[in-house]
Amino acid sequence: MTATRPATAPATPPPGTWRVAAGGRSVLVDRRAALAATVLGVLVLLVVAVSLAIGTARLSVLDTLPAAFGTGETRDVLLVQKLRLPRVVAGVLVGGALGISGVLLQTLARNRLATPDTVGLNDGATAFAVASIVAVSTSLAPSALALVGAATAAALTLGLAGGAGQRGYRFLVVGLGVGAALGALTQLMLARAPIDAANQAFPWTVGSLNARAPLAIALLAAGLAVALPVAVVLGRQLRMLRLADAVVVGLGLRVARVRIAVIGVAVVTAGLAIAAAGPLGLVALIAPEMARKAAGPRSVAVVGSALAGALVVLLADLLGRTVAAPLELPVGIVTAVVGGPYLLWLLLTTRTRRIP
Amino acid sequence: MRRGVLPSLAVLAVAVLASLAFGAGDVGPLRAVAVVLGGGDDDARFAVLELRVPRTLVAVAVGLALGLAGAVLQAAARNPLAEPGLLGVSAGASFAVVITIAAGASAASVGPAVAVLGAAAGCLLALGAARLRGTGDDPIRLVLAGAALSGLLSAGTSVVLLLDQRTADEVRFWTVGSVAGRDLGTLGEVGPVLAAGVVIAWLVARPLSALALGDSTARSLGHRPARARALGVAAVALLVGGSVAAAGPIAFVGLVVPFLARALVGPDLRRVLTVCLLLGPAVVLVADVASRLLVRPYEMPLGVITALIGAPVLVAVVRSSRMPAL
Repeated sequence: MTATRPATAPATPPPGTWRVAAGGRSVLVDRRAALAATVLGVLVLLVVAVSLAIGTARLSVLDTLPAAFGTGETRDVLLVQKLRLPRVVAGVLVGGALGISGVLLQTLARNRLATPDTVGLNDGATAFAVASIVAVSTSLAPSALALVGAATAAALTLGLAGGAGQRGYRFLVVGLGVGAALGALTQLMLARAPIDAANQAFPWTVGSLNARAPLAIALLAAGLAVALPVAVVLGRQLRMLRLADAVVVGLGLRVARVRIAVIGVAVVTAGLAIAAAGPLGLVALIAPEMARKAAGPRSVAVVGSALAGALVVLLADLLGRTVAAPLELPVGIVTAVVGGPYLLWLLLTTRTRRIP
Repeated sequence: MRRGVLPSLAVLAVAVLASLAFGAGDVGPLRAVAVVLGGGDDDARFAVLELRVPRTLVAVAVGLALGLAGAVLQAAARNPLAEPGLLGVSAGASFAVVITIAAGASAASVGPAVAVLGAAAGCLLALGAARLRGTGDDPIRLVLAGAALSGLLSAGTSVVLLLDQRTADEVRFWTVGSVAGRDLGTLGEVGPVLAAGVVIAWLVARPLSALALGDSTARSLGHRPARARALGVAAVALLVGGSVAAAGPIAFVGLVVPFLARALVGPDLRRVLTVCLLLGPAVVLVADVASRLLVRPYEMPLGVITALIGAPVLVAVVRSSRMPAL
């Protein structure tokens, strides 16, 4: 018995894709998506360098990246590694997580407006994180409870709306209601809490990279390390989900399982990001949009969306730090002001909001 | 006509009594009731007559205005979800006030006029955008556009507050809805504005209810749809602007009250308005009493309680498969 494989030459990949083969298996990589991800990655690196350079003491942009790796003047290394790098890393991770969460939810609901913000995930995670700070003061609790809160909000919204249907406006308004109720609960807890705990919990209500807890960032990094590959795989399956359900089942995809996995990953990424930085409005709306524009309609741009999210958060943070210096605008407010008009425009321009 | 009025009146009476009887301080219901009956000790007299009576009156005025504004706006937009708070009308009013104060005016000198103008702008923005793009037929998209607009306006408000400490101190009051600590002077200032709003709402009720039959039918009945809508928007701007000037933005009252009123008396707009006049104050008073009792000895912003009451109603309205057509 010889394990014979058909000796035919591998089929030529469809136009616009590369065929990457390893160990007898192969995947098609969309050329434009890969190119877009590369460009976005370079942009993120650039903005990271600029973010590291700008602050009360200015550095040369060229010095920052070496300093981040410990070479250069001692003062620069100290400044970059100890003070600025943690903030920038937090921005990249939070933006990436929100980008992934957004692109997955949008593609699943086939609706560009379906993001963690509109579905109420943000408010749920915030409410539970605040609850953990007000009630038990351990540092692990906010992250864990933010996850629980995001999951609760997702379950409430999707359950009450009868699933993320094809005509997905109803569940957005349900999400609005769920978010409003959970937001009110947050206020209620902040009002009841002793003033110290309330002050400690306040960053969770605006969204800022200022009050990042190292443990929450570490958890976010770990979660992202798991979620990103899973999301990439899911993204390839979501591409099929654009077809009619019957066709998808016929092609051998287990629709229900994919849906649950997608919602799970979206909840985990959004919850961990919010535990680290508070609710950053509209990042999850804008980032996938940028990635889609860059990567074209063929693929579900998970990696591109993560990079675009990082880019958006870093730029917003940069803007918030510089525009009114020495005062600092929280990132969450910058993204809300910049993203708000875009959201309105999106709602009012085209009649159909389908994702291609 | 009687149906629904008597029960609403009873609810309102109970709510007023509760508002006089319960407080965050230590003047309990028994001592307060003694004051109401004409007796009572000095502490209780002060707490009830000087603090709780003005507050109750302001809450009644605000509730009346918001309930009425919700009913009128829903009829004008033919949309059961059109709520002044959700559509950005209240956010427009507080944004206008904050901008005016940041530009140099003092909080005391900013009258209700600015708030009314801001409310009118918010109203026209949300409705105009929806009409322009033809989303008027889709109730849910109007709400989403309104939510986006109010999100944007409140983010703008936060930016102004962050940049300008003086403004932040003076306007904290305008950004969270509450009726705590309001005196009768507030009421005297916004009273005429609210009264004008109520009168216009009443005059426009008939044409607006004809609009429910569709514009062409309304026209053949002798009404002018465009004028009716414009007057309706004016009434909403006056009512919401006045109430924001008195108590800050309070969301969801304009959704809950007409919803209850329609459940009680059916779709006839004039009956709905009558019942809203009674139920609006009742809902705000109940929320206000809850805001005093939930976190004693502190108080909650009123808007938080109304959101807790209102959000489930919003979900219920959206979920009901046959959304009541207006």
